[in-house]
Amino acid sequence: MPSWPLSLKLYRFLLKLYPAGFRDDYAGPMEREFRDQLAESSGVFALARLWLGLLTDWAVSIPLQFSRELSQDARHTLRLWAKRPGQTVFAALALAIGIGANTGVFSVVNALLLRSLPFHDPSRLVSLGTFFPPHGSAKEFHEWRLQQGTYLTDAALIEQFDVNLGAAQRPERAHLSYTSWNFFAVLGAQPALGRWFRDGEDTRGKNAVAVISYGLWQQLFAGDQQAVGSTIRVNGMPLTVVGVAPAGFNYPNKSDLWYAANYSPGNNGWQTIARLQPGITWPQARAVFAVEADRLWPRRDELGNSEHDPKMTSLQDELAGPVKNASLMLMAGVILILLIACSNVANLLMARTADRATELSIRSALGASRARIVQQLLTECLLLSLVASLAGLLVASWTTSLATKVQPAPLSTQSYLILDGRVLCFAAAAAIASCVFFGALPSLYAGRTQPFGARVSSSTRGARLIRQALVAGQVMLTIILLAASVSVGRAFVNVMKTDRGFTTQGLVTVSVSLEGTTRGVAGHQLPYFEEALDRVRRLPGVRSASETEFLPLDATGFVGGPFGFDGRAAKQNSTLIAVLSDYFKTMGGRILYGREFTDAEILSDAPLAVVNERFAKEFGSAADALQHEVTIGKSTSRKIIGVVTGMDYMTGTMDTAHCNQIFIPAHAPGGFVSTFVVRVDGRAEGSLPAIRDTIRAVDTQVPVFGVKTMEQRMADAVARPKFYRTAVLLFAAFALFLAVIGIYSVVSCAVALRTHEMAVRLALGATPAALRGTMLWQGLLTVVAGAIFGVAGAMFTGRFLESLVEGAKSVDLATLILSFLLIALIASAGIWAGTRRIARLDILDLLRIE
Amino acid sequence: MSPIDRQAANDLMPLSPAVFHILLSLGEGERHGYALKREIFRRTDGKLRLGPGMLYGSINKMLALGLIEESDDRPDPHLDDERRRYYRITNYGRKVAQAEAARMRELAQLATATFGSPKHA
Repeated sequence: MPSWPLSLKLYRFLLKLYPAGFRDDYAGPMEREFRDQLAESSGVFALARLWLGLLTDWAVSIPLQFSRELSQDARHTLRLWAKRPGQTVFAALALAIGIGANTGVFSVVNALLLRSLPFHDPSRLVSLGTFFPPHGSAKEFHEWRLQQGTYLTDAALIEQFDVNLGAAQRPERAHLSYTSWNFFAVLGAQPALGRWFRDGEDTRGKNAVAVISYGLWQQLFAGDQQAVGSTIRVNGMPLTVVGVAPAGFNYPNKSDLWYAANYSPGNNGWQTIARLQPGITWPQARAVFAVEADRLWPRRDELGNSEHDPKMTSLQDELAGPVKNASLMLMAGVILILLIACSNVANLLMARTADRATELSIRSALGASRARIVQQLLTECLLLSLVASLAGLLVASWTTSLATKVQPAPLSTQSYLILDGRVLCFAAAAAIASCVFFGALPSLYAGRTQPFGARVSSSTRGARLIRQALVAGQVMLTIILLAASVSVGRAFVNVMKTDRGFTTQGLVTVSVSLEGTTRGVAGHQLPYFEEALDRVRRLPGVRSASETEFLPLDATGFVGGPFGFDGRAAKQNSTLIAVLSDYFKTMGGRILYGREFTDAEILSDAPLAVVNERFAKEFGSAADALQHEVTIGKSTSRKIIGVVTGMDYMTGTMDTAHCNQIFIPAHAPGGFVSTFVVRVDGRAEGSLPAIRDTIRAVDTQVPVFGVKTMEQRMADAVARPKFYRTAVLLFAAFALFLAVIGIYSVVSCAVALRTHEMAVRLALGATPAALRGTMLWQGLLTVVAGAIFGVAGAMFTGRFLESLVEGAKSVDLATLILSFLLIALIASAGIWAGTRRIARLDILDLLRIE
Repeated sequence: MSPIDRQAANDLMPLSPAVFHILLSLGEGERHGYALKREIFRRTDGKLRLGPGMLYGSINKMLALGLIEESDDRPDPHLDDERRRYYRITNYGRKVAQAEAARMRELAQLATATFGSPKHA
């Protein structure tokens, strides 16, 4: 019959899909039976019926056979694991850390870079950075945005503040965003309740309306539908709630409520977001935007701000901005860790497979096919990666909770989730990929297992080469990670070593805001601070106390402008910081020349200023700056009475000497936020409650917040770089540990396999020490080979790292050589330990057995 | 049957129709796989048609359980293909088949006591 060969081919293919053990035993009889049935089936209908029956049988029996063989193999694997618990736990742990860390970091990358924002068509949303469209009035802005139709569908303005919210007696702090009325329409969100702002509501007199977040709705109104139309007080001002944002909507920057904008000329605190026209490409949109920016601000270069050119970036990139690069660096790090863990486990399994050569040979001699043995080994690997993945999920959840603390996601909907489809797929892919990677080599090796008694040395040699290559690969990756950890570590040390112009020890900070309180009225602010400071200064253990409107490390915006020196304009804008008396004394600042403000000068609002060294030096020597004047525009001037070392407001690695700072007496403090600074004897933590309560007792309607020691603020500010340093350091340490284990296992295995050869050499007069020396030399050759590639890789990745981590620099050759020596030293110790068996060899016993 | 054997046999109860029929067919003598299949088909008037996967899957399981074993005896080479594998029932297999038959008999008696016998039976 002509269809026979085809039918037979097809059936043989189906038989190949049965598990190996079953196939070995029954493929022959089944094929013979098929031939018999074919012979008996005459006609197309009979053939079709035969095939229908066979396919049904195949579909039912194949899962049964697989489950049967897999459960057999799994039981066998569990018995093997129980025999070597240490090795098994080590392998599972190495993989769990590798897979778990990858999954955890991927959940961060997924939330920040892959998962789309919770807005309509988020890929078309842009942020127009360092760009101020006309915003003197609502009319100006809305006219401008309607003219941008060539590249923008719409644009909106946002400005953010922290405000006092609620009843006068116990107000709370909340994050508020002023927005143009069309803000929600630009994002394309729908309210959970009520409505968004209406056209025209962002004009003075009509803007006493607010939209509240879902969280605030629950907190203030317990989810009551009647919330819409009720009144809330923001900084003491009554606002009508017109709508509730959907759950999870808290853009920008975890806003609690949105307030229709109040435009004023000259305000540079606005941020512009927009939606691109459909169909326009990014380069086209950027080109049109650049022309518009030039048109609006043609002479910006003259202001010394050329480094801050207007920029159009996607909103997603803008939000991920500060943590994007670092997250990518961590991702690269954990992938290397997984690779190292996989090669290590592959090595371990190869060693174990070599140890089991006799068992496998016997099974082979008893009829187990190569495929059956490979299937058994792959099941072992699959089980191992399954166990490791489950344990890895624990590591992943720990990693993400740590990441949430250190670098919280910009939006609540971007929270780092493990139980997210994409993250779980990644975890499964990582597990399968690692299983294939570490399982393939031992399986290939086992696939070449010869029947019992016919083992040849070539397969052992081949395996040895593979294992040495694996160790060399591990050494290479470890050196790369070591170099990266040194690089990131040094960047962190630089952050910590930066002179910030003040001392953190023994410094307590407490913030207040007088807005919306009776103390916030003109003429009442300063008496409040005087009274509070008077009470605080009388507390036991308090050495000095003061107040500032702009606390170091806490700069969330910029207040200042293009100030001059005796009428000459400075090249750079200066930050303006209002302070009370004793400020520098309390902060531990350094007054280089002159003095700071007295109480009398503060009270009289004397036109005085203290400048930082950077500002003074721009116009001559710092010492000569005294008695000269800081000029603000053409009419206002302040006499310079002191020159100080600048203070760090931004927490970066940037030297504070590069910022112009001008300190002035705070005649009407308490505006947005004012912070008391108090220097105490002993531990600052112990004084926190007393100082907080004292300030609160002055007036209970004034909200007191930000009660922290300066050391805590410093720790918060450097938490992120510290986390990166710790993470990379841990990666390097873990990689080193795995590399040493890998080297040790290769050497022990080589010793075990060459016992007979060693015994013969010893019998011929070689000393154990000489043999161990040879092994050490051979082992170190592998390490050196890996190290050469590692050094090259580290130099390459160093440059990559420079672009990813702020302040990171490529490591120098000396550090690389040191890393190499370190790894060689540790490897030597591992090899020496691995060869200790040689010293205990009993030649006579061994030769007698042979 | 020893108590241990009885316990082991009871653990296998109830047998699947395929396993029970294979035991029944082999109770009459050794057979190879295809012959077993045809015999079962004949005995059940075509109601139980075992596909090759189910047949050899059952044989594989029964070999592992010790209910049947491969037979080295070959019929006259002129009558059969010597490459075929023949199976025979073990003593244990016979006892398990007996136990299953007893179980079914008890079940049948219980059903009769409850519902009576069908008139046409």
